[in-house]
Amino acid sequence: MTAADAAFGAPAPRGLAGSPVGLLVRLVRRPEGAFGALILAVFAVLAIAPDLFVGPLQTAVTAPGTRLSPPSAEFPLGTDELRRDMLNLTVHGARVSMAIGLLATLVTVFIGAVVGIVAGFLGGRVDAVLMRITDFFLVIPTFVLALILTPIIRDLVGSGSAQVLGIRMTLIVIVIVIGITSWSSTARIIRSQTLSLKERAFVDRARVIGAGGGHIMRRHILPNVINLIVANAVLVFAGAVLTETTLSFVGLGDPFQPSWGQLLEASRTVGAPGLGAWWYFVPPGVCIVLVVFAFTLVGGALDDLLNPKRRGRR
Amino acid sequence: MAQSARVRFGRALLASALLGATLLPAGVPALASNHEPLVLRAGTDQDLQVLNPWNSVVVADFEVYTLNYDLLVNFGQDLEPVPGFAESWDQDGTTWTFHIRPGMNWSDGEPATADDVAYTFQLILDAVDTDYGCLGQCYLDGYLLNAGVTSVEATDAETVVIETEFENTLLLQSYVPILPEHVWSEYTLEEIGNHEGVEPFLNDDLPVVGTGPYQAVEFEPGNFIRFARNEHDWRDEQGAPDEVIIQHFSSIDTAVQALRTGEIDYVRGILADQFDALRNEPDIAVVEGIANGYTELSFNTGGNSEGYGGRTAALSDPAFRDALGYAIDTDALVEATLGGYGTPGSTIIPPFHTRWHVPPENPRTFDLAEADRRLTAAGYVLDGDGRRLDKDGNQLNLRLTWPDSEAENATNAQFMVEWFGDLGIEIDAAVTEEGALIDAVTGPPNGPADYDLYMWGWVGDPDPTSLLNFFRTEEIGFSSDSFYSNERYDELFLLQRAESDEEQRLAYLTEMQELVYAEAPYHILYYDAELHAYRTDRFGGWTLQPSEGGTPLFGYGSFGYTKLTSLAEPTPEPSSAAPSGAASPPPSGGGETPASTDSTLLILGVVALVAVIAVGLVLVRRRPSTEEE
Amino acid sequence: MSGSYLARRLSSALFTIALIVVVNFILFRAMPGSPERVILRGTPNVTPAQLEAARERWGLNDPIFPISFDAGGVVVSGDNQFFKFVGATVAGDLGYSFVARGQTVGDVLAQRIWPTVILFGLGELVAIVLGLALGAYSGWRRGGRVDLVGNGVSLVLYSTPYFLLGMALLLVFATGLRWFPTFGMLTAGVTYPDLGARLVDFLAHLALPLATVSLGLVGQYAIVMRSSIVETLSDDYVTTARGMGLSEGRILRHHALPNALLPTVSLIAINLGYVVAGAITVEVVFNWPGLGTLAVEALTARDYPVLQGVFLLLSVSVVLANLVADLIYGLLDPRVRT
Repeated sequence: MTAADAAFGAPAPRGLAGSPVGLLVRLVRRPEGAFGALILAVFAVLAIAPDLFVGPLQTAVTAPGTRLSPPSAEFPLGTDELRRDMLNLTVHGARVSMAIGLLATLVTVFIGAVVGIVAGFLGGRVDAVLMRITDFFLVIPTFVLALILTPIIRDLVGSGSAQVLGIRMTLIVIVIVIGITSWSSTARIIRSQTLSLKERAFVDRARVIGAGGGHIMRRHILPNVINLIVANAVLVFAGAVLTETTLSFVGLGDPFQPSWGQLLEASRTVGAPGLGAWWYFVPPGVCIVLVVFAFTLVGGALDDLLNPKRRGRR
Repeated sequence: MAQSARVRFGRALLASALLGATLLPAGVPALASNHEPLVLRAGTDQDLQVLNPWNSVVVADFEVYTLNYDLLVNFGQDLEPVPGFAESWDQDGTTWTFHIRPGMNWSDGEPATADDVAYTFQLILDAVDTDYGCLGQCYLDGYLLNAGVTSVEATDAETVVIETEFENTLLLQSYVPILPEHVWSEYTLEEIGNHEGVEPFLNDDLPVVGTGPYQAVEFEPGNFIRFARNEHDWRDEQGAPDEVIIQHFSSIDTAVQALRTGEIDYVRGILADQFDALRNEPDIAVVEGIANGYTELSFNTGGNSEGYGGRTAALSDPAFRDALGYAIDTDALVEATLGGYGTPGSTIIPPFHTRWHVPPENPRTFDLAEADRRLTAAGYVLDGDGRRLDKDGNQLNLRLTWPDSEAENATNAQFMVEWFGDLGIEIDAAVTEEGALIDAVTGPPNGPADYDLYMWGWVGDPDPTSLLNFFRTEEIGFSSDSFYSNERYDELFLLQRAESDEEQRLAYLTEMQELVYAEAPYHILYYDAELHAYRTDRFGGWTLQPSEGGTPLFGYGSFGYTKLTSLAEPTPEPSSAAPSGAASPPPSGGGETPASTDSTLLILGVVALVAVIAVGLVLVRRRPSTEEE
Repeated sequence: MSGSYLARRLSSALFTIALIVVVNFILFRAMPGSPERVILRGTPNVTPAQLEAARERWGLNDPIFPISFDAGGVVVSGDNQFFKFVGATVAGDLGYSFVARGQTVGDVLAQRIWPTVILFGLGELVAIVLGLALGAYSGWRRGGRVDLVGNGVSLVLYSTPYFLLGMALLLVFATGLRWFPTFGMLTAGVTYPDLGARLVDFLAHLALPLATVSLGLVGQYAIVMRSSIVETLSDDYVTTARGMGLSEGRILRHHALPNALLPTVSLIAINLGYVVAGAITVEVVFNWPGLGTLAVEALTARDYPVLQGVFLLLSVSVVLANLVADLIYGLLDPRVRT
């Protein structure tokens, strides 16, 4: 889906080893891995407990400041046009952006892994059909598709302030849309890995003792591609955060749960760039760049670790 | 924020248009024998897609056609009827006689006569009898139909006689452009009205032929429209600009930047904070007008009765709705949502209509204790958990929504969630896709009336009638979105429409405003402000229309343009130093003429897009194999 | 190039395009609001007769798919919405825009395609040249100063949403320094004395958006190219070449570069669709009158026919571009004749 996928995302089948913990240790031993992991850890802490640092999310009603005031001792990052503290919004934005990114990654990787494993393992017609569909999503401008899908799916799931895992339905729709439109590169990678695993002796042994296809895929293939999935998921996460930001920027976010992208959109709607209100868009902008940057670093480092020869031929 | 025209499915005419015409010194060969033509540039964030007036929907569309054409009777500075296409008129009961100016010509030199009026009005009367029922987007037909026009006839070249069903003066405010029969009669009603199944007539054969002060001479759909002065203009008073350009901006912030740098001269629909910032800029003036419209909180007054999809019968109870009115701090909404620009809402006729707006006798004030008292008195009590119950004993949990096209309502919603929550009423606030919302708020038998509370706005005409229409019982299933029904109101509507005595009409309108305020199918949240800004270093004579609460441009017709005076010789345009011959073709092949809408260009474009990408790819792919030799 | 290669490529592209059309059809059915009401949007006082007329016009009374089920069993009918839609799409009839009243979607797209072709095409070209050069050099001198700085910059650029980059450039160079105009593609309505003046005006408007698109892409391409080069340089035959005493420069030019370019360029082609997303937001930031601005305006106004038209146009363009590149490439490079 992204250049980073292209750069790092297709490890060769060899050298997949080690427990997730072992992998993490080896990851932070690499400088870029450690740096990326550190940034992510900071944002993860902010996202998990924003209330601890800045109190509950401010609304137009509870906003404490004055309209669009520049940074001051009281409001280190200034305020927005609804008099809310930008620090409060930015920290809570971390929660929203990261949560959407995480959920979208789960959906994406799940679809991609299932399609990849099934296509690779079953082969034949199923493989041909699934890969055609995968190619479709790989080639088309999925962002434009996402633009159309979002309002349509919102209408289908209905309005209402119902929440899933603390995320409002409007944003869950974004998660679904990102999932639907960005699983294709994951599927490709997992498929090629599955293809090579299929030829290995342990799969043959399982077959000989009469294990069914579903069982083999779950018990023998999946454990052997899980590291690959993790490595890919890191890069998918970066892409998901970017996509969410862009969708919010064109007006598909939710002002009740502002993500960084939503804050950027709001700042542009208010005309903050022209007003010189840099404190409105610089904090969320910097956060997005940092997070995507960190994920890309970690993804690259993971790829190095999992792939002794750096990268298999495509 | 409030810059968008809140036009809904109703015939809301946008009172003011967002036009941004900038005066960039441009060379117009036809006019500029020795000097650069003086160009006024106005910026708008509304899309510019329409030259056929019948397709008009947004304010910019109305601004465009009132530059091209005259109305039968134009609007003066204070929206009084002044000579337009017709020079004078008499009314005798239900018969009107309009006298057309002798010797008037269309911009192409053809005589403009009473026949053109008869032709134009007859188009509407004919369209009513078709399956389609109206012309184009159907926003203009109502001006004749509400006035009860039954026939129109040109008795001679200078006289038009119009019969109406009932006596009224709405005909003097009809926002219908008079079109040249010699141009338009070549097309069928279906083509003009953009009915399905025929090639639509877009009126993009330039220059447009009209009697207005400026006619469109260049049209880049979605980008800009350039107008040149009408050489056959009948007006004694003409504006200083030789040309007017209305420029579209996809973001109002960009337009404000362009105003600052002098790339444009006028912007409509700027935002509160930009307005504050522009106040202190040299050579820029700001003007705060009152919008002829409002933003409302609407109740599904059908409640959960047969055919209505509301969650509770409480919505049908005026006492319930009244009590909630005390839980809305309209001042806070104006402050937060509108940045302080705008007026807290009260009755359904905006203060813009200085003659007709009558403040309520007993206005509600923000007082949550009072709201609580009234709810309890009306039988809506709290349960043990502090939750408000309706009369069936169910906890009140109401859905609140707004269209995604009006995102600023999300701010209002944050307040309502809090305020109504304090009263023990849980609010489930979420935005709805605009098309789906229009469906949801359509009443029986044509729609499900499936909502509890929602926010949107309306924009009115010079006459308040259109803003009164959607509270009528007969509009349920059509333009009524509150499903309000009151016999007295229906009766008053017809009475005021046919009343020519101003004092008596005011009495009717007062009663109607009181009635709706008291029974509260709508709580009017606020009357938006019209925030405009313009440069003062190139043009003078900026005149507000109306003089109180009006704006210089994007008002009612071409009035404001004709008042402009020139302050300076235009500075030479860097990119076009000399007045010159015909425009050279764009280097890019970018369509500057309407001909670019040709589908062959589309195909060429696709081919080019494919080719550019493919060539790039092949080039880089090719390199390795050649280098490898 | 063998027939089977050609056939495979063609059938793959055709299948993708067919799928795009099917997806478009489903999206049209799924639009929020009942179709006939959505079509008549903006129309006050819709009468039941008008709704019915609209349903008839749009064939909404026909079955959706060729095969449907009713009380009498399976009904097969050529008169169905799907066939009509496909027929209309193939004929280039994409319906009417809600916003651009009276104009077909085809007209609306035609007005906007050129600016996008220019901005996107040039941006892509600049980015490919610069990005591949930077990536190749960084990879070759892995660990060197250019690599460290270049790789860092590339990663940051890759991590930055295009519109953010665009906003920054706009703030600094247009509203701040006033070196460039703030919006549009040409100064509106100006009559130019000659082609040169027009070109100058155009280039002034083009500079910032082009820089944004190119910068946004350069990072990605450099990353891909660098990693590709690094990998190639560790291949066995390169080691062999080194062993044979070939100079580093020669190894790079004759062995590493050619082999690294192949996968890189394939990935760039595959990524085209993704790049389009970025181009969309850049156009919005600079008020560039192209397909991206159109898409966002259509989204804001919920002008679904136009939105679908943009999707169809961009998708098919990307698919065809990939196909054409594949075919020519197959023609030129003997190695892919398999």
